[in-house]
Amino acid sequence: MANRRANFCGSDDHRIHRRGFLGAAAVAGAFAANMGVLNVLRHPTLAAELKRQQKHVILLWLAGGPSQLETWDPKPGHDNGGPFRAIETNVPGVHISELLPKMAQRMHTTCLIRSLNTRIADHGGGAALMERGRRDEPTVQYPDLGAIIARELGRADSQVPDYVSMYTSTEGRRKGTSGFLGARYAPMFLDKELMPSNIRRLEQISDLDHQQRGELRQVLGERFARGRGSNSVDSHNGAYKRVRGLMASDKLFDVSLEPQKYRDAYGPTQFGEQVLVARRLIEAGVPFVKVARAWWDSHGQNFETHLELVTELDHVMSTLLDDLQARGLLEHTLVITLGEFGRTPRINPSLGRDHFASAWSASLTGCGIQGGAVWGKTSPDGVSVADGEVGAGELFATIFQALGIDHKKDYYLGSRPIPLTNPGTEPIRDVLA
Amino acid sequence: MTADPNKLTKKLEANVPGILFCLDKRDDATVIHCGSSDAKVYTFDLADEKPTGKPMEGHSSYVTGVALAGKHLVSGCYDCSLIWWDLETGKPTRTIADAHARWIRGVAASPDGSFVASVADDMVCRLWDAESGKMMRALQGHELQTPHHYPSMLYACAISSDGKLVATADRVGHIVVWEADSGRSLATLEAPVMYTWDPTQRRHSIGGIRSVAFSRDNKLVAVGGIGKIGNIDHLGGPSRVEVFDWQAGEQTHEFSNDKLKGLVETLAFGPDDAWLVAGGGDHSGFIQVFDLKEKKPLKEEKAPMHVHDMVLSADGTSLCTVGHGRIVTWELK
Repeated sequence: MANRRANFCGSDDHRIHRRGFLGAAAVAGAFAANMGVLNVLRHPTLAAELKRQQKHVILLWLAGGPSQLETWDPKPGHDNGGPFRAIETNVPGVHISELLPKMAQRMHTTCLIRSLNTRIADHGGGAALMERGRRDEPTVQYPDLGAIIARELGRADSQVPDYVSMYTSTEGRRKGTSGFLGARYAPMFLDKELMPSNIRRLEQISDLDHQQRGELRQVLGERFARGRGSNSVDSHNGAYKRVRGLMASDKLFDVSLEPQKYRDAYGPTQFGEQVLVARRLIEAGVPFVKVARAWWDSHGQNFETHLELVTELDHVMSTLLDDLQARGLLEHTLVITLGEFGRTPRINPSLGRDHFASAWSASLTGCGIQGGAVWGKTSPDGVSVADGEVGAGELFATIFQALGIDHKKDYYLGSRPIPLTNPGTEPIRDVLA
Repeated sequence: MTADPNKLTKKLEANVPGILFCLDKRDDATVIHCGSSDAKVYTFDLADEKPTGKPMEGHSSYVTGVALAGKHLVSGCYDCSLIWWDLETGKPTRTIADAHARWIRGVAASPDGSFVASVADDMVCRLWDAESGKMMRALQGHELQTPHHYPSMLYACAISSDGKLVATADRVGHIVVWEADSGRSLATLEAPVMYTWDPTQRRHSIGGIRSVAFSRDNKLVAVGGIGKIGNIDHLGGPSRVEVFDWQAGEQTHEFSNDKLKGLVETLAFGPDDAWLVAGGGDHSGFIQVFDLKEKKPLKEEKAPMHVHDMVLSADGTSLCTVGHGRIVTWELK
């Protein structure tokens, strides 16, 4: 595998910040094991340092495929446009669907990519592509975005999960994959409730007993590993080292610990609560959180479905951006809205829209992004990309670059170099800050 | 001639551009008035060999309600406005731009043409003086949000044959019968099956009560929508009709049809209230007739389009339907 700490440039300035950060992280870890990570953040200096150094991603995964026409790329006045109006935003000349009035007032924070042509319009294939940025090869299963971000932005000594994925609806549920990166970067997957299952210590075992068992296991494990140099043994031992930190992170998932005003702000829906948990996780140092909101597959009654779901997205996403901004986290956090594809411009007889991957949209907000930018253009009827066509690879390269990750960086599978994005893929530089 | 719903037969089929959401016509007339997805109100003469709509322009979104009230034609639209039209000139004579705060879903006129009712997603039914255009009353009895905290929708309204009652019905299956003169709520009824919230697989809903009608003796209220859906990506659930004795607060009839799937978008009682006709659909469309005395389906026909609205003649012998790209007339004799 490639050297995962290539970001250290060697300068004094970087050395000081890096040292300070590592110190803060170590203290954070020590505290976290006993007190819970949130307590660390009450120390303003440490919290500020963590915030300054770390970058994060919150992926709002709109599973099932939202309509670009009812979100980021409206076509008012055209037969394909549907009944919703386009509204002005606080970025002159940029209009979005009237279902997003709150986001319209925050468009200066957000860039729109309106020219995705990803060609795969079935749920499974589309989701796999948009999770990984490229298609698997017969002999290579690529890691998804969360696993890559966990590897690039996670810390070896992390006391919190690197990659948390929430997907509670059953339709289209996908756990995500760390592919060839291995189980170390697989997501902590929450599919039933906000609180991870099996994270708490058994009542029959005291904390001291648990700690001593861990120390004994560590001694035996290190003796076993000595001289063997096996990735799987290292991975096994590494996982155990993180257990106590992960066990202490249960409070991060408990929204009842959040002040009522924030719970009220995010709202009472499950999606709102999950995004609030995502913010808590990010604040505590988790590099990547995916919140899946299913299910947008509106073959029938597209407009009724989008009245429900876009209204919710507008409220929850705008609340999240405000909250991140107020906490000084937005410039370090990339918020992505993405699904597996968009929806057909043509309106079918059930007043629905069907699967469509030829000309659709995504949004990027925050870290490394030029707010207010709009990339690409679709034709007046919305059926094709008129300008600036990009695919999943370009989107992923843009995400990596926004986070300061070299999209050409190689991983190694055995001796085979595997770049983060396929050779020749370039980011959309016009939307990068 | 006596109506015979067993003889339901398609007579005329005309292709039209766009989607026709609503319809009104005078009894026995060949001229019909429709609201369209292209933001226009059209007048068609079905006596023409190839009916071509005469457009009237003034709205800016889907036109979802039209009603003839005396000499006036009133239309309602997702642009939240109501427009009174001069049918001679095809021009608006009155526009109430902010008649509602959200999408207008339907418009109905009292039989004597004295007032018009409009319903919208602001969950208010407003009664308007048809002559002056002044709002007479705002009927408020439907929740703005569903129990799952999403925007609700007030889809349907109907006015009784004597003009004394108004019925309204919403997305979660809540029905209110109002006294038109006072604005007082006289009864509330529930049809919860028509609220198709999926709490597990997809976490949204697509159903709701889409149609409501009074029986001709005004003792019954019928509502139409869709039943329990396995996969709410599509309109794949059974078409569903429930009938209530609204004064007793009791459901008297329930019709659920697994073979004809989709939404029941429009309802009308036949003469003597012996039968009830329903129109709607999913990707395709249907007409169904129910025998209210025997409490069983009487007749069903596939329609060549999703039916959004219909008008049954006073004697029950003819039916005009409009929907996705088509106008179809039917005989029941």
